[in-house]
Amino acid sequence: MTALLRILRLLIVASPWSMARGAMLAVLVLLMGAALLGLSGWFITATGLAGLAGIGIAFDVFRPSAGVRLLALGRAAARYGERLLTHDATLRALAALRVDLLKRVARRDGRQLQNLRGEAALTRIVADVDALDGVILRLFLPVLAAVVTHAVAFAALWWLAGAPVALSVLVGYVPAGLIILIALGWRSLSPSRTAEDEAQRLRRGVIDLIRDREASILTGSLAAGEEALLQTDRTARAAIRRLDVQERRAGLILAVAGSVALALALLAGDWVLSRGSVDAASAAIGVFVALALGEAFIPLRRGVTEIGRIIPAAERVLSEAEPAPVPSKEGRCEDATVLSLRVGDKHLSLNTGQAAVLTGASGIGKTTLLLRIAGLSTLSDARISILGRDPSHWAEADLRDAVTMVPQRSVLIAGTVRDNLALTGITDERAMWAALDAVALAETIRHRDGLDTLLGEGGSGLSGGETRRMALARAVLRRPKLLLLDEPTEGLDTETAAKVLAGIRAALPDTAILAALHRDVAHPLFGARVSLEL
Amino acid sequence: MQTRIVGPVARTLRAAGFLAVLSALIWPVQAGAIALAIDGWVGSGAGGLSVPAAAATVLIGGAIRAWLDFRAGGLAFDAADRTIARERDVLLRREARARSGDGSAAIAALIVQKLPMLHPWITRYYVAMVRVSVVPLVLLIVVFSISWIVGLVLLAAGPLIPIFMALIGIAAEKASRRQLAEIGTMNGMLMERLSALLDIRLLGASDRVTRDFERRADALRNQTMAVLRIAFLSSTVLELAAAIGVAMVAVFVGFTLLGEITYGTWGVPLTLGQGIFLLLLAPDYFNPLRDLAAAWHDRAAGLSVVAELEEADRADRIAFVGNGVPGQPLDGPIRVRVSGATVDLSGRVLALPDFDVSAGEAVALRGPSGAGKSTTLAAILGLVPLSAGQIDVCGRRLDADTADDWRSRLSVVPQKPHFADRSLRDYLTPRPDADVSIADALTLAQACPIVDRLPDGLETRLSESGGGVSGGEARRLMIARAVRMDGDLLLADEPTADLDPQTAAMVIDALKGLKAAGKTMLIATHDPALIAAMDRVVTVSPQNMDGETGA
Repeated sequence: MTALLRILRLLIVASPWSMARGAMLAVLVLLMGAALLGLSGWFITATGLAGLAGIGIAFDVFRPSAGVRLLALGRAAARYGERLLTHDATLRALAALRVDLLKRVARRDGRQLQNLRGEAALTRIVADVDALDGVILRLFLPVLAAVVTHAVAFAALWWLAGAPVALSVLVGYVPAGLIILIALGWRSLSPSRTAEDEAQRLRRGVIDLIRDREASILTGSLAAGEEALLQTDRTARAAIRRLDVQERRAGLILAVAGSVALALALLAGDWVLSRGSVDAASAAIGVFVALALGEAFIPLRRGVTEIGRIIPAAERVLSEAEPAPVPSKEGRCEDATVLSLRVGDKHLSLNTGQAAVLTGASGIGKTTLLLRIAGLSTLSDARISILGRDPSHWAEADLRDAVTMVPQRSVLIAGTVRDNLALTGITDERAMWAALDAVALAETIRHRDGLDTLLGEGGSGLSGGETRRMALARAVLRRPKLLLLDEPTEGLDTETAAKVLAGIRAALPDTAILAALHRDVAHPLFGARVSLEL
Repeated sequence: MQTRIVGPVARTLRAAGFLAVLSALIWPVQAGAIALAIDGWVGSGAGGLSVPAAAATVLIGGAIRAWLDFRAGGLAFDAADRTIARERDVLLRREARARSGDGSAAIAALIVQKLPMLHPWITRYYVAMVRVSVVPLVLLIVVFSISWIVGLVLLAAGPLIPIFMALIGIAAEKASRRQLAEIGTMNGMLMERLSALLDIRLLGASDRVTRDFERRADALRNQTMAVLRIAFLSSTVLELAAAIGVAMVAVFVGFTLLGEITYGTWGVPLTLGQGIFLLLLAPDYFNPLRDLAAAWHDRAAGLSVVAELEEADRADRIAFVGNGVPGQPLDGPIRVRVSGATVDLSGRVLALPDFDVSAGEAVALRGPSGAGKSTTLAAILGLVPLSAGQIDVCGRRLDADTADDWRSRLSVVPQKPHFADRSLRDYLTPRPDADVSIADALTLAQACPIVDRLPDGLETRLSESGGGVSGGEARRLMIARAVRMDGDLLLADEPTADLDPQTAAMVIDALKGLKAAGKTMLIATHDPALIAAMDRVVTVSPQNMDGETGA
């Protein structure tokens, strides 16, 4: 419930002025609707009375009939304005929320990013955010409008037609309406949650099955995978069916409550009339207003059944950690030493154009240390300074400009080779070709469609070694001061590996390079060697 | 286009429409009761209805209407639910079987996010159509019988609604299609970026990617608003037409009752009861028309979904051979014979080499990149269909009947590591009935230390490309999985390509161990050390298909 309120605040705060105007108009729509029918009913009854009394000429027809027309026009206009304002404000807030979520996910630390499963993050950003649009549009605003309208209508009826009529309309609608809606919300919590959970499971499952297609065929488990997804679909639809029954049942009871209110208004009108406190025209107002107020509670059903789906989605969205605060630019001034590293009793310092190897057996922490240098981890207790400053004291953008790291497993994106290289922010074709040349990939790419060579999902279409070199080419394009390479030669035969390392050095003569290798590489590139045997 | 969706559930929808019409026709009775009661208050009516009787009529009528609407809604839901289940079944059973060019995230969006957009179309549009064809006509007849001028007012205002609705329907459908396309694009784009997020961060591209996504999210908002704007504007105009119609009726009735208008009522003066009755009927005359207009947008959205479904039906697809079910292992010794086989790779015809592999042999498949080594393996696995020639396996032709049985005799090491969303334990259990234990398979593939090092051990969920382990480690896990598949023939696609010489040597040792255990092997590679460990080499050349040489 707190999650719901926090999301509500978040959405309102995004554009409070639009929301406030939208809420005002939403109330106005219902009030004008009630007033329109009330006034029309009064008008006709009053003219009927006047006609009978033979005082038709004296009756002021113009103000009421103008009022009827004004209300008719005003209601339609208010409805249009309300819908446009609230939908636009909500969609804007949700789009901003999606972008914000992506930012937060992108700011996770290195390990988490490495293990991130795309389909899980996707459902968060797409489906969970979609689930939140009902908070304002189908829950908050309709509740607000219904409550205010009933309050105003109660006061107005008391004044115009007397307490019995006002009370009968209120008693006919409000207690029954509240009880039904609260019961509906309560009973739909579980199916609503199930429906959303299963829909998200289905989305992730479809993506997973399609991407894992070949393996499923080979093990004969494709049919079973499809059957599992169909089962998920059945569970989801069964939950939606339960929701639908609940919602229609609530609709049925609300409609009967509306009839009760109408019948009560009729009886109350008769009673006040018999006591002579008001005339027939005023008594009739109650009947017509009761008729009009039916539309206040009905739209609430949809929103109420969504609560079970909204709350978990809101909790998941809010649980995405706040991005780390941007570090202040403190620390010593620029230092000539690009990288200074102290791990235990070992020390390494790299100047421009120097290169060093980080060795040690698998699992000893080479990757963690590199991630720490790249500012994506706080795990290592190493003392690090890049150009005289600890990585955690750098602003993100400055650190990325100074340091580039090629992780062990690089992932390419669907699109062209150009799209992949352009992720670096460099779009110059000559620079791209030079980088591809440096990693001995230019020939291969040229033989296909050049920079327009299309890659499939996840960069499929390139072999493992080609993928690796593409990732290295991107690093070359960045022209960093410090280049961190995690097992750069993995996936490359000895000859290509030597060519690639030499090519990178030739392309980046001034860059300090630190490469983690779990075996000794006797490459002339590397002057120093830090062994991480702990 | 509509028949595909509506045809199978037309009966149910007609029944729902019938109940909805019945419900709408009860209202005149209730309205009459109210009118007579109010007429009685004024004391003009001859033989007005007593107020309690009127209240009871209102109450009973209301209850019956509520029940009819409840039932009608249930029937409409059934129709929509059956339709979505049917279409989802078709998509789920097709998209993983025969891949098209669409990304997995876009297909998932179609199946999960867009198909439910058929729901409001089915539940609302058809019921609204049935109501519109009966209810306004009946009410018009009732109104005409009391006052022809009020009837004329309604008759004039009514048809405006369907005409206007048809005009905007075209625009609405265009906007809906753009919105749906944008949903697909945003999903696909986001999925790719999320999978590559570590690289993106390290390249300093987070902001650029975020900005790109912001543009996409904004484009989706714009397309959605475009759809909504048309819907809001049209419903406003329609509401206006209805409201003005009601207001005109009210004013006309008022003036008639005052005696200022004396025509239009067939020569008899209008009673107050009749006036109120007319006023109460007027909104319900417009309601079915407004509902239809609102449902027209649901129809536009629904038709856009159908258009996407039909587009997906027409897409070029690459199917595979067989059904992807567990098979009964083919009898007889392992034997593969490829003869005159060609594969059509979306327009590019690739000829496969003619060659044989017999039980116990270890054969290397060699050739430059792009010559078709991987395609040859894929064809033998039945992952791509042949366009000519044939492949025989265990003395039988590889076709839809034998493919699944054939595959159950194979172990496979694919070219690229891919880890589905499940634990390492499940990854290492490709078939339920493996004879080799996980521990033995890991030992054989020299992969024990990898699993020991992972904090969650066999319960670890690796990222899709194997983030969390190195390339060499991923390769060894893949070999462990192939060992667990326990096939008689091992097919591997460049098993040492991602490895440094030291790890490659470990992998080659593992393969030698499998060979010694009596496994037949066909391995695509250009690693000299691996080729040396094989008995024989088959060369794949890009131009033609021959060239069998000894090693």
